[in-house]
Amino acid sequence: MGMETELETILTDDGENWTVRTDNLTASGRTMDELDNDLKRVLNESGQFDKGSSVKVFMRYDFSNLPTWFRQYQYHYFNRSVTIDL
Amino acid sequence: MNGVNRKWTDGMATSEDWWAVWLGLIMFVGGFLSIWGVDAVGWMAKTKGWLDPGWKHWVKPASKGWKSIGPLGSFLMTYGVFTVFVCIGAFFMKLDMKKFFIGWTCIFFITWGSWIAGHNGHFKFHKTIQSSQQPEIWGDDVYCATKVHKCSKKLNKALKKMGVDVAAGQAPTAEQASAAVDKVKKAVRMSWGLQLGGGFSYMLSLAVGLFIGNFMKGFAGFLREAAKPEWYIKTAIVYLGIKIGMMSMKAAGFMFELAIAGMCATIVAYMIFWPIVYALGRKAFALPRGASAVMASGISICGVSAAIATAGAIRAKAVLPVMVSMLIVVFAMFELIVLPGLYVSINPGDPIVNGAAMGLTVKTDGADAAAGAILDELERAWAQKQGIQWEEGSILAAAVMTKIWIDMFIGVWAFVLAIIWVYKVERKPGQSQVPVSEIWFRFPKFVLGYFFCWFAYVAIAVFLPEIIKPAMHGAKIVQSPMRKMMFMLCFVSIGVITDFSKLKGMGKLTLLYAIALFLIIAPIAYLVAWIFHHGMMPPLATP
Repeated sequence: MGMETELETILTDDGENWTVRTDNLTASGRTMDELDNDLKRVLNESGQFDKGSSVKVFMRYDFSNLPTWFRQYQYHYFNRSVTIDL
Repeated sequence: MNGVNRKWTDGMATSEDWWAVWLGLIMFVGGFLSIWGVDAVGWMAKTKGWLDPGWKHWVKPASKGWKSIGPLGSFLMTYGVFTVFVCIGAFFMKLDMKKFFIGWTCIFFITWGSWIAGHNGHFKFHKTIQSSQQPEIWGDDVYCATKVHKCSKKLNKALKKMGVDVAAGQAPTAEQASAAVDKVKKAVRMSWGLQLGGGFSYMLSLAVGLFIGNFMKGFAGFLREAAKPEWYIKTAIVYLGIKIGMMSMKAAGFMFELAIAGMCATIVAYMIFWPIVYALGRKAFALPRGASAVMASGISICGVSAAIATAGAIRAKAVLPVMVSMLIVVFAMFELIVLPGLYVSINPGDPIVNGAAMGLTVKTDGADAAAGAILDELERAWAQKQGIQWEEGSILAAAVMTKIWIDMFIGVWAFVLAIIWVYKVERKPGQSQVPVSEIWFRFPKFVLGYFFCWFAYVAIAVFLPEIIKPAMHGAKIVQSPMRKMMFMLCFVSIGVITDFSKLKGMGKLTLLYAIALFLIIAPIAYLVAWIFHHGMMPPLATP
C-alpha cells in the first residue's frame, strides 16, 4: 500500500455535470462515480502522484455557485471527502 | 477558507444562524443588566394603540427610566442601535454593506409604518366586557385602549365611586355607565372596530411586503440584500426563549408538558410525513430518487434547510434544492395566510392543538413563527370575546416549540441519509466518508440561544428567586417590543422575497407539493397535534 497524500479541490456543478478543479487540474462527470473515475484518470496523467498511492481528495463546494438568497443556507450543503487509489 | 465546515467553530462569525444567536444574546445581556439596576434596553420604542395621530400617541420608550428621550427619541434610538448591530452582522456575513444599509433602513421604516398603522384603535382595540355583555346599558361601542380586564376593572371602580357596586350585584343605569366611560381614560367609544389586537399589524406588514415583492419587483430586488426573514425570525426566537423562561416561572407544568408533547408529536410526524411524500414522488409522479428525497425532506421536515441538507447528504446538484426551496417559500406564504384564520374558525377552543399543528405544517421558521403570532392574536381575540384572558405568547410558543424540535432533528436525519447514500446508493464504503461532525454543522444554532435564554430565567426562578423582579424589568423589554419588532421585520421581509410568479414552469413539482401539503401534511399534522396536545390550555393572563 502506497503512502496517502491530500489534495484540496473546488467542487461545482452546472446542473448537468459535477466538476472538481485545482489550479492545474480539472475533472468532471455527470455522477459522482463518473467524477471520481475522471479524477483518477486526471491524477494519474498529471504525474504528480506515485502509481499505487492513495490520494485523499477534499472537495469544497463553491458556494458562489448558489443564488445569493440561498447562500444563507450554504452550511447545510456539502463538502466531500473521497479517497482515490491510483 | 470561506464555507468549509472543518472546525466546529466554522460559521460562528459568518453565518446568519450564528448571528441570530449573537444579536439575541447581546440584547439578552442588555436586559439582564436590570438585575444590577442598569436599564440598558429601556430606550426601545414600544407601540401604543392610538386614535389621534402623532408620535406621542404612536410610541413611547419601553421603560419609564428613559421617558426623557421622548417618543421620537426612543424611535430614533431603536433605529440607531439595531442598525449598528445588524450592520456589524452583515459585515461579517460579507453582505454588500451599502445595499444592506439602505435596504435595512427602508425595511425598518416600512415595518414601523405598518406596525403603527396596524395599531390604530379601529383595528386593535377590543370591546369592553361591559359593552359586550350589557350593550343596552353601556352601548355597543365602548372599546379598551388597554387590556380588556384592566379596562373593565377601571370601569367598575369608577362605578363604585358613584355608589354602584357591581361586585355586589348592582347594575348601573345608562347615565351612570356613560359617566364611568367618560371617567376612564382607557375606555373609548368608536363607531366600529375589528378587535384584532396586534394581529392586524402582522397582517398589514405581510400585505405590504407581498405587494412590494409582487408588484414592485425592482424595489423588491433593491431591498433583497436586507430582506432576511430567517435571520430576523431566528433572532426573535432567541428573544422568545426569554418569554418562555418567564412563562416557565409562572406555569412550569404547562411549559414542560408543551416541550414533551411537542417532541413526541414531532417524532411521530417525522416518521409519517417523509416516507409518504417520498413514495408519492416516486410512485405517483415518477420523480428520480434524489428529487423525491429532497422534496420529501423540504415539505415534511423543516423547509429550505432540510431541502439543502438532504441535497448535500445525497449529493444532489444544487439546482434541485434551489427549485424546491422556491416552492417551499411560496407555499409557506399560502399557509401563513390561510391556516391561522382556518384553525380559529374551525376549532378555536383548542388553541394549543392549533399552535402545535401550525408548527408541524408550516415549513419555514419565519412563516411558522409568523403564522403562530397571528394565530396567537386571533385566538386571544376570540377568547376575549368569551371573557377569557389567555397569556400572550403561549399559543405562539406551541407553534415554535414543535418547529424547533423539527429543526433540531435535521442534522441527524441528513447524517442518516448520507450514510444510506454512501453505503446503499453510491456503494463506496471506506472511500467516501461522512463525518459525524456534519450533524453539528447542520444543527440550527439559534436553538442554542433560545434554550440558553429560557434556562437562564428558569435558573433565576429556581436558584435566585429574590432577583426575579429586577430580572423581569429588562426581560420584558427584550421579549416583548424587541421580539415583536423582529417578527414585524420578518413579516415585511418574507413578503418582499415571495414572488408568486416563480411557480411558473414548475408544474409537476408544484402539483406534488400542493397535494402533499394540503392532503397529507396538513391533515396528519393536525391529527398528530390533536393526539398529543388536546386538552392543554394556555395559562391565564395575570393582571
